Amino acid sequence: MANATKQETKKGISLNLRNTLVGLSFILPNFIGFAVFTLVPVIFSFILSLMKWDGFTPMEFVAFDNFVKIFGEKKFIESLGHTVYFAFFTVLLSMAAALALALLLNQKLKFVNFFRSAIFFPYVASIVAVSCVWKAMFMEDGGVINSALQMLGVAEDMLPGWTASVAWAMPAVIIVSVWRNMGYFMIIYLAALQDIPNSLYEAAEMDGASKWQQFVRITFPMLTPSHFFVFMMLTINSFKTFDLIFLMTEGGPGTATQLLSMYVYNKAFISWDYGVTSAASMVLFLIVATITVLQFRVEKKFNDFM
Amino acid sequence: MIEKKQHPVARFAVYALLIILTIGTLLPLVWMLSASLKLDSEVFTVPIKWLPETFHWENYPKVWQKIDFATYSFNSLKLTVIITLIQLFTCSFASYGFSKCNFKGRDTLFLCYVATIAIPWQTYMLPQYSLMRMLGGVDTHWGYIALQAFSAFGVFLLRQFYQSIPNELLEAARIDGLSEYGIYGRIVLPLAKPALTTLTIFTFVTIWNDFMGPMIYFNTESLKTIPLGIRMFLGQYSTSYELIMAASVMSLLPVFALYIPCQKFFVQGVATSGLKG
Amino acid sequence: MKIKRIAALGMSGLMAASVLTACGGSTSSSSATTSSGSTGSESTASESTASESTASGEQVSLKVSLWDATSNPADLAAIEAFEAANPDIKVDLIDIPSTDYNTKLNTMLNGGSQLDVYFIKQADMTKSFYDKGQLLDLTPYIEESGVDMAAYNGTADGFAFDGKQYGLPVRTDFYVLYYNKDLFDAKGLEYPSNDMTWTEFEELAGKLSGDGNYGALMHTWQAMAWNWAIQDGQHSIMDYETGYDFAKTSYDMLVRMQENGYIQDYGQLKSGNIHYSGAFAQGNVAMMPMGTWFIGTMKAKVDSGEADFNWGVATIPHPEGVETGYTVGASTPLGINPATKVADAAWRFVEFMTGAEGAAVYAKEGYIPARADETILETVASNEGMPEGLAEALQTKNITPDRPIVDKVGDVDQILAEQHSMIMLGECTVDEGLAEITNQVKDLLA
Repeated sequence: MANATKQETKKGISLNLRNTLVGLSFILPNFIGFAVFTLVPVIFSFILSLMKWDGFTPMEFVAFDNFVKIFGEKKFIESLGHTVYFAFFTVLLSMAAALALALLLNQKLKFVNFFRSAIFFPYVASIVAVSCVWKAMFMEDGGVINSALQMLGVAEDMLPGWTASVAWAMPAVIIVSVWRNMGYFMIIYLAALQDIPNSLYEAAEMDGASKWQQFVRITFPMLTPSHFFVFMMLTINSFKTFDLIFLMTEGGPGTATQLLSMYVYNKAFISWDYGVTSAASMVLFLIVATITVLQFRVEKKFNDFM
Repeated sequence: MIEKKQHPVARFAVYALLIILTIGTLLPLVWMLSASLKLDSEVFTVPIKWLPETFHWENYPKVWQKIDFATYSFNSLKLTVIITLIQLFTCSFASYGFSKCNFKGRDTLFLCYVATIAIPWQTYMLPQYSLMRMLGGVDTHWGYIALQAFSAFGVFLLRQFYQSIPNELLEAARIDGLSEYGIYGRIVLPLAKPALTTLTIFTFVTIWNDFMGPMIYFNTESLKTIPLGIRMFLGQYSTSYELIMAASVMSLLPVFALYIPCQKFFVQGVATSGLKG
Repeated sequence: MKIKRIAALGMSGLMAASVLTACGGSTSSSSATTSSGSTGSESTASESTASESTASGEQVSLKVSLWDATSNPADLAAIEAFEAANPDIKVDLIDIPSTDYNTKLNTMLNGGSQLDVYFIKQADMTKSFYDKGQLLDLTPYIEESGVDMAAYNGTADGFAFDGKQYGLPVRTDFYVLYYNKDLFDAKGLEYPSNDMTWTEFEELAGKLSGDGNYGALMHTWQAMAWNWAIQDGQHSIMDYETGYDFAKTSYDMLVRMQENGYIQDYGQLKSGNIHYSGAFAQGNVAMMPMGTWFIGTMKAKVDSGEADFNWGVATIPHPEGVETGYTVGASTPLGINPATKVADAAWRFVEFMTGAEGAAVYAKEGYIPARADETILETVASNEGMPEGLAEALQTKNITPDRPIVDKVGDVDQILAEQHSMIMLGECTVDEGLAEITNQVKDLLA
C-alpha cells in the first residue's frame, strides 16, 4: 500500500516535470525572442517609472514622485479623459458597425466578395494618405462631408466644424477610426457567423420566430466568444492609437484630441522626462490590464454557464 | 447562410444599402486615386473635383524617380512576409502551450505577455533601441525582424481562439496515444485556420504600414520601406500630396493581391472547421 | 500523413531561419561600405568599419544625420563640395523625414548609436543636447584651426555654454516678406517697401484682398503671432511674468485679418493640408511673411513653372517704434557626437560646412549661411532667377532668436502651439488664450 502511493507520487512528479517540459517546448521559441526584445525593455521602463531620467545621464531614484506629478497635472487628467472617451466610442461603434456589416454580407448575394473587399480596404490603406484625405473631407466650408450634410438639409450654421472645433474634433477622429477598423472586425464576425448551425434557424423559423427574434435569441448569443475577442482587440488598440490622430489633428485644437499615447510621446520627446513617460504608461497599462482581467472573469463565467 | 428566398423588394433594399455603404467607405480611397492623378495645387481644391482636369499619369513614374520605390517595395515585402511567417509559426506554437498544456508558472508567463501589450511602444522604444544596438541589430533587417517576429499580441490572439477548442477533444486524442505535438499538428492547427488567417492579415497589414519602427531602425537607403518613402514627400520645404497619394495607391496593390486569395481561403477554412469562436 | 506534416513544419522553420541568417549577412555586408570584404560578426560590423578604415589609411566614413536631404539641394551640394575637397573622407548620410527628425536623432544619441556629426533642426534643442553631454566641446578645434568667430555676427553665441563652444551655425534663416508683384500691378499699388510697419502691412493687405485673392498668407504656425511679438528683442516666449501682454498686439492683428478675410482661414488651411509653399505658388496671395529658407524653394517653383508670376522680397514689417531691419530668425547648428571615433574628420566637416567654403556653396544655392556678409548676400541675390533688390531686402540690424536656447523651451512651445489653434479657431479670445498660456507656463517653470 505504502509502496504504491510512493510509486504514484514519483510517477506524479515525473509526469509534472514532463508536462512542464512539453509545455515549455511549445512556448520557448516565441518566449525567448519575446523576452529579449520586448519583455526586458518593458521591465526596464517599469523600473523607470520610479526614476528621474532624461534618457542619457545617470538616473536618480525618486520613488512615486512621477505618479504624484502626473496626477497633479491637468494635461494628464485631460488626456486620460480623452482616451476613455475615444476608446469607449471607437470600441462600441466599431463593434456595432462590424457586426451589422457581417450580417449584411453573410447572405447569398451577387458580388458579395467585391462588397466584402471594399469594406475591408480602409484597413490596409496607408495612414499618411488616409489622414490627409479625411482631413480635407472634414473641411468646414466646402468639405465633402459638410456638403453632403447640407444636401440632407442641415442648416448652414448648424454644420459641425469637425477637426477645426473643440467639440467636433473627437467625433471626427472616432469616425475615421471606426471606418478603418470595421472591415477587419467584420471578417472576424463573418467567420463566426458561418459557424452557427443552420438547424438552429430552421427550428426557430418553425416556431414562427421573426428575423429580429432570431437575431436576439440565436445570432447574438452564439457570437459571444467573438464579441469578447473583438472587444479585447479593439480596446487594446484604441488605448494605444497614435499615428492616425497625430497626423489628423496633432492632438488639437488645443488639446481636444490629445490621447494618453500622445501625452506619453510628448513627455518622451519634447520634455525628455522618461520617468514621467513610464509612469503615464503604467497608468495606461493598469487600465488595460484591469479591463483584460474583468473580461477574462466574465468570459470564464460565461463559459462555465454554457 | 440564410438560404430562404427573400422578397424582391427586400432584396433590392439590401443591394441599395450595400451600394451606398460601399460608396461611402470607398470615397476616401477614390479621392486618393483621383488625387494621385492631379497636380499638387489641385489636390485640395474646394469644392473637390473628382475627375482631374488632365490626367497626370506622370505622377506614378515620378514616385519611382524621386525615391527608390522598387527597393522600398522589395524591402517591405520581404520584411512583411518573413515576419508574418515567423509570427504564425512561433505564436501558434506558444499559444498551444499557454492554452492546452498545464504546468506550473504558465499563467505567470502569460501575464508577462499581456503586460507588454498594453504599454505604448514609445515608452520602451529607447531601452529597446539600446539593447538592439548592443546586439548589433540597428540598421539591419534582421534586427527589425527580431523585434517584430515574436509578437505578444499574436500569442494573445491565438490563445483566445485555442481556448474555445473543447478540451474533451484533446483528451480523447491523448487517450488514443497521440503526443502533445501530434495533437497540436493534427487537431488544433487544422481547427485554427481562421484564427491563423486573422493573425496573418493583422500582422501583414501592421508590418506593411509600420512607419515608426523602420524610421527609428533603418539608416541606410537600401534598407528602407514604403511607409518611410511616403513620409519623405511630407517635407519641411514642400509637400507633394499627389506623390503621397500615388505611392499610397501603389503600396495598396500587393496587399490587394494577398487579400483576394486569402479571403476565399478564409471563408472555406471557417466553413469546415466547426470552431465556435 | 503525420510525418509529412511535421516535415513541412520543420521545413518552414528551417526556411525562415535560413532567410533570417541570409538577410542578416547581406545587410551587414552592405552597410560596411568602406571595408571591402570584412565579414566580422554582425554585432561589430558597423563599429569595425570606422576603426578599420582609419587604421589602414583608407577613406574615413563619416556618419552625418540631417532631414529632407532629397528636397533641399543646398545641403547635398555643400556635402558634395566637402567630399571633393576631402577625398579621404566619405560622408555617409542618414536622411530622416523632417517631422520625425528630433525623435530619431534623440533615439540614436541616447541609444548610443554610431553617429559622428549631426545637424540640429531646432537651435533651442542645443541646450538639452549639451545638458546630456551629447555635444563635443569644439573650443580646442576652433582655436587650433583659427576660426574667425566674429564672422558669425553673433549667431554662434547661443551655442556657447560656460564659455565653451559646442556647436557652430551652418545657416541662419530669418523672416522676410515675400510678395506677388503681379497682384500689386493689377491693383496699381506700389510694392512693399523695406521699411513698413505691421499696421501699414495690414492696410495694404486689405487693399489687395477680394476677387478670390488674399492680401496675405499667414501660415498656421504660432510663429505668425509670436515672432512679431518678440521682434523688438525685448521679450522671449519664456517671459510668463509679463502675462504675455506683449503678444496681444500681434494676435489682435492676426485675428482681425482673419475676420476681415484678408488672410485665408486658419481652419481651412489646417484641414486643407495647405503648405505655405504651394499656397503662395498658386498666385492668389499678395504677401507672405516667411523665412529666408523659402527663397530657394520659390526659385525652384518658378523654374519648374509651378509658380507663374513675378515675385519680390522685402524686409519684414516691424512694430511701431522699432527700427526696420529688426527681424526674427533661427540658426541651424552642427554638432559633433562626443562618442565619435573619427573626431578629426568630424571637425573638418564642421569647419568646412560652417566656414567660408560651405557658406559660398549655400549662398550659390540661394540659402543664407550663418557667415553672411555683404559678398555672401550679393552672391545669394545675384543667383539667376532671384528678384531684384533682394540684397537690400536681406539687410538686418538684429535677429532675435525665435526661441531662446534655455531649458524647457520645447514644452513652452508646445503650449503655445495648442493655444494658438484655440485662438485662431475662435474657441477662445486672445485674452483668454494668453491667460491660459500664462497659467500653463507658470506651472511649468515656477
